[in-house]
Amino acid sequence: MAVPLAVPPTRMELLKLRQRVGLAQRGNDLLREKMDALVIEFFEVVRRIQEARAKALEQLSVAHRALSMCFAIMGTLETKQASREAKRELQVEISTRHIMGIAVPAVEVEEIERNALMRGYGLHMTSSVLDEASREFERALKLLIGLAELEGSAFAIARELEKTKRRVNALEYILIPRLKEAIKFIVMKLDEMERENFIRLKRIKAMLEERE
Amino acid sequence: MGFKIAVVGDQETVTGFALAGATYAHIYTTKEETLGKLGEFLASDEIGLVLITHRVAEELGYDFLWMMQAKRLLPLVLRIPDKTGYVPKVDELREIIKRTVGVEIMIRKEGG
Repeated sequence: MAVPLAVPPTRMELLKLRQRVGLAQRGNDLLREKMDALVIEFFEVVRRIQEARAKALEQLSVAHRALSMCFAIMGTLETKQASREAKRELQVEISTRHIMGIAVPAVEVEEIERNALMRGYGLHMTSSVLDEASREFERALKLLIGLAELEGSAFAIARELEKTKRRVNALEYILIPRLKEAIKFIVMKLDEMERENFIRLKRIKAMLEERE
Repeated sequence: MGFKIAVVGDQETVTGFALAGATYAHIYTTKEETLGKLGEFLASDEIGLVLITHRVAEELGYDFLWMMQAKRLLPLVLRIPDKTGYVPKVDELREIIKRTVGVEIMIRKEGG
């Protein structure tokens, strides 16, 4: 049960309240529409995430297998050494895009696969399995970057969705019922006052008639 | 503007992504140290993406989740499986859907 607002029972207040209810309801409708649109957007992103994730995880496990191979053939220490020597200057372009006023990340991946010469480790001490592992990891990284963008968007949209839902609920279950309750209270009170007045007049009339 | 990539995880994962060109790397040691390092990564302006293995993320527990809540839009943080392919049973995305959309739980088998 909504707690009624404390309002003076006057006609002015009644008019004001009616206006407020109208406004609240319009706001509620708008927010609801926004929520629907967000949900559609959200599910679209989720669908794409599932595809991207499956692909990325697949590639990642391939990469790990290649790396294990490399550890086994070239030796753990040598592989670690190579990873330390490797050029590690990969850059990704990240900007923000707006979906319905929500900032979501947009990542641009340049070509991150490199050839063995560009990787920076010494070639004469390393084996081709290292190249293999590096290539697989580069591919995995590319997919993962795409996945990160999608997940970032999903989180941003989900957060906004939660906020919108809160507002809708606050309007629908708290504010509007309270306003309506207040309107009802004023209407009842006004009616009651009118009846009182009517009876009072009748009484007075009867008394006047008796006196004559 | 270009952003760099950071990796937090076990030896193998870090080695692999270092080979692929990730600039920053941290191998999980103790919880405190890793949390400190992760905070550094998140606060940095030049890092755009932090990859962290599920296992480490779980190891860090609530502190990690709290950091995720508090962080800005960038850097993005993505949790990835390690070499054993370990992924937690609770799918976080599904949790979010449950929380935001209501009781709806998605079961999707077909492509669209």
